[in-house]
Amino acid sequence: MTNNHLFSSYTQLKNTWDEMYNQNIEVRKQYEKITAFLKRTSSNTLLKKEELAKQLFMSQGVTFTVYSDNEGIEKIFPFDIIPRILTATEWRKIDLGIKQRITALNLFIKDVYNEQFIIRDGIVPADLIYSCPNFLREMKGVKVPHDIYVHIAGVDLIRNNDGEFYVLEDNLRTPSGVSYMLENREISKRIFPGILPENNIRSVSNYPNVLYKKLQELSDQNNPNVVLLTPGIYNSAYYEHTTLARLMGIELVEGRDLVVKDHFVYMKTTNGLKRVDVIYRRVDDEFLDPLEFNAASSLGVAGIMASYRKGNVVIVNAPGTGIADDKAIYIFVPNMIKYYLNEEPILKNIETYQLAKPDEFKHVVENIKDMVIKKTDGSGGYGMLMGHEASEKEIKDYLKTVKKNPSNFIAQPILRLSTAPCCIDGKLSPRCIDLRPFALSGRDGIDITPGGLTRVALKKGSLVVNSSQGGGSKDTWVIQ
Amino acid sequence: MLSRVANNLIWLDRYMERGNGILSLLKVNFYANQDAPELFSWSPIIKNYAGDDDEHCTENALECINFMVFNTNNSNSILNIVTKARENARSVQEHISRELWLCVNNYYLFLTNKNLPKKLKEEDPIVFLDNLQAFHLRYYGLMDVTQERGASYYFMNVGKYLERVIQITDFTAMKLMEIAKTSDTLERSIYWKNLLLSIGGYQLYLKKYKSSFEENHVITMVFQDTLFPRSIYYCINKLNRHISLLIETNELEKNNIDFLLGKLESTIKYTTIESINEQGLDVFIKEIKEAIKNISLNINTVYFSNVN
Repeated sequence: MTNNHLFSSYTQLKNTWDEMYNQNIEVRKQYEKITAFLKRTSSNTLLKKEELAKQLFMSQGVTFTVYSDNEGIEKIFPFDIIPRILTATEWRKIDLGIKQRITALNLFIKDVYNEQFIIRDGIVPADLIYSCPNFLREMKGVKVPHDIYVHIAGVDLIRNNDGEFYVLEDNLRTPSGVSYMLENREISKRIFPGILPENNIRSVSNYPNVLYKKLQELSDQNNPNVVLLTPGIYNSAYYEHTTLARLMGIELVEGRDLVVKDHFVYMKTTNGLKRVDVIYRRVDDEFLDPLEFNAASSLGVAGIMASYRKGNVVIVNAPGTGIADDKAIYIFVPNMIKYYLNEEPILKNIETYQLAKPDEFKHVVENIKDMVIKKTDGSGGYGMLMGHEASEKEIKDYLKTVKKNPSNFIAQPILRLSTAPCCIDGKLSPRCIDLRPFALSGRDGIDITPGGLTRVALKKGSLVVNSSQGGGSKDTWVIQ
Repeated sequence: MLSRVANNLIWLDRYMERGNGILSLLKVNFYANQDAPELFSWSPIIKNYAGDDDEHCTENALECINFMVFNTNNSNSILNIVTKARENARSVQEHISRELWLCVNNYYLFLTNKNLPKKLKEEDPIVFLDNLQAFHLRYYGLMDVTQERGASYYFMNVGKYLERVIQITDFTAMKLMEIAKTSDTLERSIYWKNLLLSIGGYQLYLKKYKSSFEENHVITMVFQDTLFPRSIYYCINKLNRHISLLIETNELEKNNIDFLLGKLESTIKYTTIESINEQGLDVFIKEIKEAIKNISLNINTVYFSNVN
């Protein structure tokens, strides 16, 4: 039996790279086995598999709670069962490219908070750095263990219609989504039994072990106490915090569980205070220490920054890394790679216009229908203007805001995100995707788990993959 | 262990135990109410768990069960209890077995399924309550076979037995109020039988004392039986045991909890039925409740005294 219905209405988007089909509508080699499997499977079976996936997410508690009318509703992050598949060659380039980028960005952060050679050599303008809201003066001159600032990064990549991967954002603060990378794979094992080994897919399950090893090695203590600091159960990524703590076997703590005494951080246990050596925090810089940042924060720990500066505790990622994933700084990353490493960037940047420059501003306005304008300190897909779908009035209003403070905005040409097949109402349909691999830096270098989180814009024709705006995810397979 | 975690573990089990007790009570009252609605009205139960809720004054069995299971304004509705149990479990996932977490989470999902309230209307109410109680029984079983013995297990047991003692004293006090209203021996014996059914001791009572209802026997069994897992003595003894284990493993400061518990255990064990009757069962219950409250406060102080 062949399920032709499933493939019957797959219409590739114009000028767009499709992950499954090439231009001649032939299945790419990496997708051959899975398409053969899908053809053998009835639509009814696929629907059942989709249902099973949903149930598994719900019963494992892979959910976030949405509160309305005093009632909490459990939601799952939509999951598309068809995996996204990358070849070994494609992965090699991504792996090398991200390692190169993270190395340069880490050197940049160290430089910016210390000698500032890059400013003195005129590569990055000083006013850009000092005007960046994510630049933390509190970090100037602070000695960071092993000079590592970015321990965990989730670099967002997209594939343009030329088939090349481009870096969209570097995400060097507290990137989330890695638990979905792990969970999606567990679900794939359940719904496609036997298919993973048949395709020779690289495993992702080692991530928590690697992370723990790298965290532990940051401390100079013999048997360091590593903890994960969460903002608490109302945080939308709480599921991820519990999962990572559980898989690493470390304590999940909240700000109220910690206390600073004589510049050491302790946790309050049933048999007294116990010293904490390494904190993998999932609390933003701003809320980390009410004594130094947001005074109203109850999510952090008073005095933790002073303890950190004394070298009594390691905070992961280091405070202040936001300076390097600011959208205005992004423009300079290729220059940083050349400046610090004397190498050509392996992964490309997206062409980016600084709206503070009159000629670039003019160019953007003239081509506004092909442009997306973003706030330099924005994230999560909020506060953007997508030129091709905005009305004249929306464009006019947005440009008015831009003119007030043009250095807070950048513009990029609207990209053709590559598409991958998704199972929509029992049929395969192309949807736009991106890719967020997770990179871990430690004393022994950088490790990137083969795969990552593939996010999908489930709405037809949409380019926005953010979970807050109708996005979903897919399992990401890297062939050995 | 983090003090907050210990607290979450205690409350996880307190809520699970409370849910189980309430479901038993609802089932027993449903039966009894069919027999003698004038003796077993729903209002004492509602009053005990939901406070003086003027809004709810119906005697319709299904409405009462619905109120006790689903009503979100009733802080002791099964839905609210399980929601709180789940929140406690969710924040201590790295301390409890995976199976326990899945059990509590699935219970929550079962209860919040939009179609469930309809089932109560359409199906047999006892089957409905049994389906809910099955989650509690699974929880007990999973705790026994999947949770490693250690601090987490001890704290969970502290919560479980603490709540169980409180429930038994509450149930008994509730019945005593009813009993006080009548001098009819038959009616009184029906109340006592109902108490035994509510805490699951009826079968054992028959085995031990045959079908003759003597108040003294019931009191002895509910309060002093050493082998009945729902007697006050048994629960205090277990509580004592788990507190001792926590002290042994340095998870709990000695303080004077072990003293308070030892004292309470002896009081229950060595107070004769004559002396209970002499002081009045209600006074005896009050004394136990007071002692339990003290012990519970003491446990709290131990957690939170480590703040500075």
